[in-house]
Amino acid sequence: MAKILFVSNNNEKIKHYDEFLVKYSHDFSFASDTQMFFDALNVEYPNILILDLSSNNIDFSQTYRKINSIKENLTTIAIINNNKIPPELQNIVDALLTEPLSDEVLLSTININVRRKESIVRLTNSNQNLSKSLYQLDVLYNVGSQFSTTLDKEKLINIMLEGLDKALGFSVACVLTFKSENEPLLIINSINQISDRLLEALKLRTVLNYKSLFENKKMPFALNIEDLKTIKYAKNPIDDYDFSVLRYDNMFAQINLSDNFFGFVEIYRENTFTNEDAQCFHTIAQQVSMPLKNSAYVQEIQRKNKELYRLEHLKSEFVSIVSHELRTPITPLKSALQIISSGRAGEVTDNMSRFLTMANRHIESFEKIINDLLDMSKIEAGKMDYKFVATNVEKLIEFIKLQQNSVASAKEIELTSHFDDKFVYVFADSFRLQQVLNNLISNAIKFTKPGGKIEVGTKIIDAKDITCPKCFEQEIKSLHGKYLQVCVKDNGIGIEEENLSKVFDQFKQLESSLSREVGGTGLGLPIVKKILNAHNGVIWCESEINVGSSFYFVLPVATDESNFWILHKQLIQQAKVNKTNFVTFSLTSDEDTIEKLLKENNLIKDTYLNNSVKVKKDDKMTLTMVIPDSDECAAEFLKRKINSTVLNDKAGYGKCDIMFSYTTYPKEND
Amino acid sequence: MKKILLVDDEQDIVETLKFVLEGEGYTCYCAYNGEDGLKLAKEIIPDLMILDVMMPKINGFKISRLLKFDAKYKDIPIIMLTARIQDSDRQIGEETGADVYITKPFDLDEVLSTVAKLINNKSEKEEQKEQEE
Repeated sequence: MAKILFVSNNNEKIKHYDEFLVKYSHDFSFASDTQMFFDALNVEYPNILILDLSSNNIDFSQTYRKINSIKENLTTIAIINNNKIPPELQNIVDALLTEPLSDEVLLSTININVRRKESIVRLTNSNQNLSKSLYQLDVLYNVGSQFSTTLDKEKLINIMLEGLDKALGFSVACVLTFKSENEPLLIINSINQISDRLLEALKLRTVLNYKSLFENKKMPFALNIEDLKTIKYAKNPIDDYDFSVLRYDNMFAQINLSDNFFGFVEIYRENTFTNEDAQCFHTIAQQVSMPLKNSAYVQEIQRKNKELYRLEHLKSEFVSIVSHELRTPITPLKSALQIISSGRAGEVTDNMSRFLTMANRHIESFEKIINDLLDMSKIEAGKMDYKFVATNVEKLIEFIKLQQNSVASAKEIELTSHFDDKFVYVFADSFRLQQVLNNLISNAIKFTKPGGKIEVGTKIIDAKDITCPKCFEQEIKSLHGKYLQVCVKDNGIGIEEENLSKVFDQFKQLESSLSREVGGTGLGLPIVKKILNAHNGVIWCESEINVGSSFYFVLPVATDESNFWILHKQLIQQAKVNKTNFVTFSLTSDEDTIEKLLKENNLIKDTYLNNSVKVKKDDKMTLTMVIPDSDECAAEFLKRKINSTVLNDKAGYGKCDIMFSYTTYPKEND
Repeated sequence: MKKILLVDDEQDIVETLKFVLEGEGYTCYCAYNGEDGLKLAKEIIPDLMILDVMMPKINGFKISRLLKFDAKYKDIPIIMLTARIQDSDRQIGEETGADVYITKPFDLDEVLSTVAKLINNKSEKEEQKEQEE
């Protein structure tokens, strides 16, 4: 059935077609002059417009504009006799019939055009549906890819809701999750504010929904309306939603992690949902479960990690406390023994002296064990303090040689030293470096048979010329620049190749009858390694069974730069231990005066300047420093301050580039 | 007879040191906490003090600081004893004006020779002062 407007001044024709077309249940109206035509169009647009061009009282060229403006929804049929079609109409007429005209031709022309219109409408509809599906697919895809960007539970739920909003456009969305075992949480996102009584209704509905999900079955979590906490987000805070929302169309989906219940999501919309909408909704609700599951795993791992960290900390604390407690009685014990052996407390017989020596020896090794434990716990807790000063290693070696000579000569071991390069300085804590050398040399004495030889030597070496067994290459690779290499070489029992790297592992004294004989905690070399690492040094060893072992270590030769990097490491370490933030700050300038600028204007504390490094490259001077216990704000402020100072005196300071990076520690153990 | 004040909350250590130092001919006074130690120091003005760092009430660093900043007592040499070997402590000890810093467990001979050296130095200085006057 079509609405037909017949434009003609021929009353007979009008009457004829009215009767004929109404018979075929078409809706017929007519216009017999131009004015009527426009009036008819103002009332209602026809589907089909039939123009009788032989009507000479109508100027069809005038109607052209009007027809053209509505031609999308209109089929225009023109009937001509022997007159010509006006040129304006040529392009907008869909069918042209000539008189004499049979009714059947007109009817079939009308029917064809009606059917064509209908198929166009169908096509348009399915096109619209397609593009809607495409849009939903696009949203699904986007949501899917966004899910992979985070493992945060709340963010995941937000992404899900955003996706649902984009794809379906809800008025209200309720998500029930369990924050923890007994903390049910209802998240309500809505366009308008939720009124208080609607909130209560939604809460009640949530509880009922939840209970209906597990009808006759045990519920995974208990849920009472009193315990149900809610969070509300509304886009439009001015208007309120009331109970009317409950009459909206709604959809509901459960969110499962594998087989476990996690929560559910329910959305409300004024327009009804289609099947496609439902599919899209369920897909998004399903999609969120995978990342949520991962997020649950990550949380579990983080929790375990925290626990491990706590236990590790507890262990270190325990070791530290026990060692301190064990250390206390050593002093009076040692003094008492010393008083007796010195004869101050009375005459000492040979037998007494024999046992006193024994007691003394054991107290000394006991003391050493406790010192090792204390050192290790301090290193592990990051609380080892180093005072780096320019240190001459040769002097230290000579000093230790004097100390150890008596032990070595008692075993008839020859202890020698040679220095390829003299007066070399490294930045080191001399007390700790002494501990390193003492440890290596006394180890060498321990594992060398009487009559053996121990040689301590130093030389300057370029990082790229260092050679070492394969298992240590990784560490050597990271070095560059000039290093002082120290070698302690013995001709003792040696170490098997597969054990070479293990000697620096904690509590790993190598299994051998001799090692049991000489005793020790197995902490000596790990401590040595850690101390050297704090100095930006590396230790390794070479060995051959029954021929001997050589322990090598390298330390960066003292330059402003090496000093800075050692301090840099320490400052970062301190920031980590103290759980504070630090900022690394770099200034590049084409003038050397940059340091003067900072000093003269009191822009940066002297201590930071002293701990900074200056590197000159291509006429540009870069000054880098670490500022502990500082934050991004402070760095930004400092940057501005420097910038404004530089601007005030361009000639004096040249052009400045300032960069800073900001890091917070610790990130994971808060 | 030279007077030495021993301050340590560990009685056994005080006793041991007292025994050895008296054997060397010094007169020893003992205190077992910081408060008593400070009071006694001001009372007897010893020729030398051996101070423990970790003590209840007033710790060794504080006593040392209080004495060294007081013109009346600043010439008393102080040997600081501590169980901790941390360098930062060593530095604080030096900043508070302790003359020598010895870590526990100590070697008695080391303590004795240090005591002798510090007391000698002090006597020499005093003699010089008298001559100048």
